Formats: sequence, structure tokens, C-alpha cells
Amino acid sequence: MYLSEKDVRAIATYARIGLDDTQVTTMTIDLNNIIESLKPITAYDLTDVEPTFHPIAGLSNVMREDRVQPGLTHAAALANAPEQQSGSFRIPPILGGGDA
Amino acid sequence: MEYSALSIVDIQAGLAAKIFSAYELAEAAFAAIEARDPQVHAFLELTPELAFAAANRVDVALAAGESCGILAGVPMAFKDNMNQMGTHTTCASRMLESYVSPFTATCVAKALEAGALPLGKLNMDEFAFGSSTETSAFGRTFNPWDLERVPGGSSGGSAAAVAAGMATVTLGSDTGGSIRQPAAFCGVVGFKPTYGVVSRYGVVAFGSSLDQVGPFGKTVADVAATLDAIAGRDPRDCTSQESATIFSANLEQGVKGLRIGVVPAFMDAEGVDPEIISATKGALANLEQLGAQIVEVELPNAAAAMAAYYVIGPCEAFSNLSRFDSVRYGYREGGARDLGEQYEQSRAHGFGPEAVRRIMLGSYLLSSGVYETYYYPAQQVRTLITSDYVRAFEQVDAIITPVSPRTAFKFGEIADPTSMYLSDMFTISINIAGNGGLSLPVGPGEKTGLPVGVQIIGPQFKDQNILRVASALESCYSIARLAPLGTGPVGTSSARPPEQTQPHEGGAL
Repeated sequence: MYLSEKDVRAIATYARIGLDDTQVTTMTIDLNNIIESLKPITAYDLTDVEPTFHPIAGLSNVMREDRVQPGLTHAAALANAPEQQSGSFRIPPILGGGDA
Repeated sequence: MEYSALSIVDIQAGLAAKIFSAYELAEAAFAAIEARDPQVHAFLELTPELAFAAANRVDVALAAGESCGILAGVPMAFKDNMNQMGTHTTCASRMLESYVSPFTATCVAKALEAGALPLGKLNMDEFAFGSSTETSAFGRTFNPWDLERVPGGSSGGSAAAVAAGMATVTLGSDTGGSIRQPAAFCGVVGFKPTYGVVSRYGVVAFGSSLDQVGPFGKTVADVAATLDAIAGRDPRDCTSQESATIFSANLEQGVKGLRIGVVPAFMDAEGVDPEIISATKGALANLEQLGAQIVEVELPNAAAAMAAYYVIGPCEAFSNLSRFDSVRYGYREGGARDLGEQYEQSRAHGFGPEAVRRIMLGSYLLSSGVYETYYYPAQQVRTLITSDYVRAFEQVDAIITPVSPRTAFKFGEIADPTSMYLSDMFTISINIAGNGGLSLPVGPGEKTGLPVGVQIIGPQFKDQNILRVASALESCYSIARLAPLGTGPVGTSSARPPEQTQPHEGGAL
């Protein structure tokens, strides 16, 4: 077993996903099974093998000219917001506990 | 002439000869959708007003004698992870149920510029996490060949819409097999070109180093023409590449003198149905008959591709899906006391179980200590897999493999996530290496009678080789591309935009 339920709770906190107790139990089983299937990766001797982070060789830091370009209007940017107020995205208190 | 059987060439010829108008094509498309989609459920949203407006533009241009684009009048639909201004782009997730695109993805924009008639948005596995379209939050898609079976996934709606004769061509996306496997399950042609051929701008990201957009169609020529319309460099996607290739140019060249690779380890792989191997051998025999030379090649590290993929894919997905924060857009769970709780509750209820699983896996694999055990080594293994392909393509022009270890399975038949992942065993290594791969129907299978596909793989940016081989091989088979359901009678569509004008009178379709 690679992960305990305690580990899974910690991962969920990091991933910002609230899991209930039943979900934690199921997720622990699923993740352990999946991690077991990743074993072939650990079986390799990878000394002196460079990593490949994307498939196009020699491509790095593609830059464009630093120029203002048309973008979304203020209204379009806010149009999909679950909640807005005075032209801004509205969120609950960041530090918690208080009244919104 | 039956609408559902029309190819792009048929549409071009019919429009030029005024046998039918683009408007009538749109009418026929919605009639087919109304008759068949209640059974298939390929579409999540229909956009008749956009389709009829596009049809009118095509008809006006044709009447004025203006030249039209490659896809002029072609009824087309897009996977629901592709933004199209004014449409819902849900990724088949509750998270994006009410999201309306404020912009258009480059691949969609290019198709529309080429004259395509946008019929609507297509069902998929939630955020493209899956191989069966069963994880869609808005109901599953049914395989038009057998409504008790899955259409494959994640681009299940894109494959099913073509097989049911509702759209002439569609677009899908492929991160580990999500174009090729549903194409095989639904008996249509599906092409994932080399990473970088098509811009991903505006396509909701899953695995950024793996994702690629590609077309579905009934024929290789339709797929090549669609790729011609959507390929090319886009300043908004820095991985997209300049392309001088005309993908539909060399389809008639044949395979005489080409060297075609076969991977013995794939043909003997455990868990592959005999009817799949038999169909693949049949394809190889046909190519040999056409004058190709069959050469055995080895891909010794491909066996580790599945593990590398289930490290790299979830890590990239974890990062990409962190943008769904319930603040700027997306599902928000009400009643949270603070922002942290709002994030956790919104993401817990907005994402389905497979999305949560992949995000959790990525979160774990990128954590300190684990990164060194799995993530970094997976990227090193990726180098080995890529080198295998480079070496193989020093010996051959294309490689033939199965697409999927079996034909379409029944709903619920594969419930365990790790077993589901195996359905992509032959497609995943191509995304890891970045090469192009095409799924060509060569079925029906000897045992199941269901569609079987073979995969044709080419060297990076030699996608025209793949299409050339596919076109030659296609000529050996006279199999139906439309499911029986896709050839049935249809009524008259009630879909109409307000105040339509018909620029010219067309004949019967």
C-alpha cells in the first residue's frame, strides 16, 4: 500500500477538493491500484537519460512582441462569473469565519 | 442522393451543380439529428441559427460566383471542449454546465472560415478523462452500431455523430487515444495528427504536452480535407507549427515500394482479442498485395508507455484543472464560510469521480519526493519511447498496429479504472512520442460483427504518409461507414432560424 487514508486527505487538501469519509476510503483504494500500475516506471535504469517534457524537439521560450492586443471586454470577462459585484468577481471572506 | 452518405467531394459537386443548396444541407442535417440523436445522444447542444446563417453565406457566395472554402456547405460539429463564441462549452462537466464561450478556438474558427455549417457541440467523457463517454455529466452517448454498447471515448460524440450520418465531419481531441479508439468503435476514420499540426488555442486543456485536435469522417479523403482546413501555425498556440503540407494531395499515390512496419510484440500482446489480430493481419496482407514491403520493427519501451502516460497525463491535468476555482467561471457551491471552503466544495461537487481521481493522482505525483520517483523518471522514459519511434522510422515509412484490444464493449462492462485504462494500450505511446496516428475501419470483426479499426502511425510531421497509406488500404475494403441506424429514413426538421431566405432553389436531396 502506497497511500493511507490520512495521506489521501492531505492530497485532497492540496488539490482543493473536499472529500467525505466514504470518498476518502474509495479514493484510497483506487489511487493505490493506479500507483501499483505505474511500477514499470520505477524498474528502469535511467542514468544519463535526459527527460522529454514535450514532443517538439528544440522548442523553448517562444516569445511574442510585447504589444497591447485586443482582449475580452470587462463585461465579457465577468459574464461567466458565478457572482459579481460592482464590476468585480465576488468571493466569500478569504480568512474565514466572518459574515460575507 | 441520401444526405448521410454524402462525402465532402459529393457536397462540393452537388453545390457546384446546384443539385442542392447549403441551406438544404443544413435542413437535412437537422432532420437526421432529430430522427437519430434521441437514440444516440451524440449532441449536447444544437446551433441551428449558426448553421443556417453559415449556409446562407455559402449560398450567397456561390450564387455570386465567389470561390468558397474547402468545407463550404459541409455540416460539421465540434467536441464540447472546443470554445465557439456564444455556445456552451461544458466539457461534459457539471463544472462548466452554464459556461458560455466568450471566444472561439482556432480550430473551430478555421473550419467556419472554410465554410463549414456548425451543427452543434458533441458529447465526451468529462474533461476528456475516459475511453467510453460514460463519464459525461449529461448522459452517455450510444454506439450507433449497437445501442447497448459504448461509442468509445473520450470523443465518443464526435465518432457517433459521423457513424449515425448526422454530421459529415466532426472534430475531436486526442490525449491518449481519444480520437482513434472511438473512431474504431464506431467504424469511422479518425486522425490524430502530429503534435503541433493543429492549434489547441481555445480547446480546454487536459494534458498540454499530449493533447492534439483532429478530424473524424466517413472517408480518408474527408479527414484529409478537414485537416487541410484546420492545420497550421497559430501565434496563440506556441506549439503549433508552420505547415506547407497539403494533406489531401497525395492520397492516390499508392503504397508500392513503401516499407510498412509491424511490431511483433503488439501482435502477441496479452489481452487482445483474436478478431483484432486477425483484422490487423488482414490489413498487412492487403498492403503487401498493393506492393508495400512489410518489415518487422521493435518498440521495446512502448510497454512502459501506459505507466508513463498515467504519470504525465494526470500531472498535467492537475495543473490545468486548477483554473476551475469557482470565482471567474464554473460551478459554485453556495454557503461556504470562506474562500478555501468554497474552492473545496465547488470542486468536489463540480467535478465527477474520474476527474477527481485524475486531479488527486496528479496532485500526489507532483508532491515532493514522489516527483523524483515517478514524474521525472516518466519524462525520461518518454525519451526512450520517442527514441524507439525515431529508430523504427529509420527502417519504415509507416507502422500498422491495432487501435484497441477489442471492439466496443457494453455499458458498465468495464467498471474498474485501471482496466478501462488498458483500452488505450496501443494508442498511448503515440501521444507520448508526439507522432500522428490514424484509425481506419477494416471490420467487421469475425467474432462480434462490430467495427474494427487498424492504426496507421507515421514519423513526426509526415502525416501525409499516414493518409497515403490509409487511402490505399481503404480501397481494399467495401465496408459500410454508416451504421444501419445512420441510413434509416428521416422526417423533416423543425429546426429553423427566424426569417430565413433561400438564395436559390435546389433540387431534392
